[in-house]
Amino acid sequence: MFAIQPSSAEPIYRQIVEQLRRLIAGGQLASGDLLPSVRDVAGFHAINPMTVSRAYGMAETEGLLERLRGKGMAVAATTRSTATQAQRMALLETQLQALARHARELELPGDAVLRRLGKLLDE
Amino acid sequence: MNAVLRSINDNHAAPLAVRGLSHGYEDGQVLSHVDLAIEAGSVLGLIGRNGAGKSTLIRAMLGLLQPHAGECTVFGEAALKLSDRSKARIAYVPQQPDALAWLSARQMLDYVGRFYPTWDAAYAKTTLERWLISPNKLLGKLSPGERQRVDLIRALASRPELLVLDEPAAALDPVARRDLLREIALRAGEAGTTVLFSTHIVSDLERVASDIAFLHDGKLLLHCGVDETKERFARLWLPAAMSAAAPASVFGRHRHEDGSLSLVVERDASGRWPEACALPGARIDALGLEDLFVEIAG
Repeated sequence: MFAIQPSSAEPIYRQIVEQLRRLIAGGQLASGDLLPSVRDVAGFHAINPMTVSRAYGMAETEGLLERLRGKGMAVAATTRSTATQAQRMALLETQLQALARHARELELPGDAVLRRLGKLLDE
Repeated sequence: MNAVLRSINDNHAAPLAVRGLSHGYEDGQVLSHVDLAIEAGSVLGLIGRNGAGKSTLIRAMLGLLQPHAGECTVFGEAALKLSDRSKARIAYVPQQPDALAWLSARQMLDYVGRFYPTWDAAYAKTTLERWLISPNKLLGKLSPGERQRVDLIRALASRPELLVLDEPAAALDPVARRDLLREIALRAGEAGTTVLFSTHIVSDLERVASDIAFLHDGKLLLHCGVDETKERFARLWLPAAMSAAAPASVFGRHRHEDGSLSLVVERDASGRWPEACALPGARIDALGLEDLFVEIAG
C-alpha cells in the first residue's frame, strides 16, 4: 500500500509516515482499518523492518495509528473526521512548493500549469 | 563462574570492531587509522569507490589478514585468534570464492551443511532453483557470478549471527538481488542477525542498511545512521553576491560559471543549518545518499 523510493533524499520512514497522513486525511484509510504487518511491508519492499516499525511508531505517537492487542496496527478512532480541509491542504504544501519551483525553472506560464493540473484533478 | 562471565562479556561485545587499523601493500597505504564498531542486529553498508580499501577492511576485520597496525575483534575475541565457536557464528562471502571447486553446487551445500547445527537445507535447495544454478555442475565450471551466488546461498543457509558480504550485488540479476536484500532485511529485523556488506550500489544500501560507512582512500569519512545521514546533510546554493559568506565546508564545494557557489552543509548539534542558509537568494536542497557519496568521493 506504500510507494517507497529508497533513493529519495527523504528517509524511508518519513515517506511512510507522510503517506499514512495523506491516506488517512483523504479517507482512503478509515478508523479501525488494519495496517499491513511490519514484516509484510518490509518483505514486500525489501526494506529494513526497523524502518517500518519506526514509521508506525511515529504515526502512533502522532495519534494517527493505534496498536490493537494481538492484531497489530490500526487507524486510530478519532483521526479522519477531525482533519479539516485546511489541515489536508497543509499536507500538500511541500509538493505544491516543489511543483511551483519546477514550473518557474522551466519558465512555464502559471495558467498553462494550472490548466493541466485542473485536467489531472478532474480525471 | 568464569564461563558465565565470559558469556556475559560475549553478549555485550560488538560483533565486529576495529581500532586504529592501518594496512598497506607494496604499492602503498590501503587503510589508515580506521575505527569502526558494528552493533549487534544492525545492518552496516560499507560504501566506497573501487580501490577504496573495502575488501581489505573486511578481511582485516575478520582476521583473514594481519594488519600493520590496529586491533580487530570479533564477538570480543581477537580476530586473528578466533575460536571455532565464534567462527561457527559467522558467514563470509568473498568477492571471488574459489574453495571446493571440484564439487558440484549441490554436493558442496550438502557437505558444508553438515558442519552447521543451524543449517537450513530447504532454503538452500529452493534458492538454488530460484537463482537459476544447475545443481550438478562443478563449481569450478560455473561463471564467477554463479559461483558467488552459490556461496551466498551457503552463507545464508547456515543461519549465521554475523553475515559479511563483499560486493554481493555484482553477481546478481535484479530478481536475485531483491531476494538477497529481503533476506538481509528480514533476518536483521527478526532474527537479530548482524550484517556487514560492501557495495557501490547506493540504492541497495538505502533499502536495507540501518547504518552507512563511507570509506575513501583508506579513511573512514563518515559512519552514521542512514536516515540521520539523509537528514543531516544538504546542498546549499549561494548566488555570486553572497558566496563570500559561505560557511566552511569539508566537501562538495563547487564554483559555477555564473559565480554562484554550491556546497554540502551539515546541521549543527541542535539541528540548525549554518547561518548562510538564510541569506537572500540562498537555496537549500535535500541531498540523497548517492549525491552525498559523489560529493565525498568525487
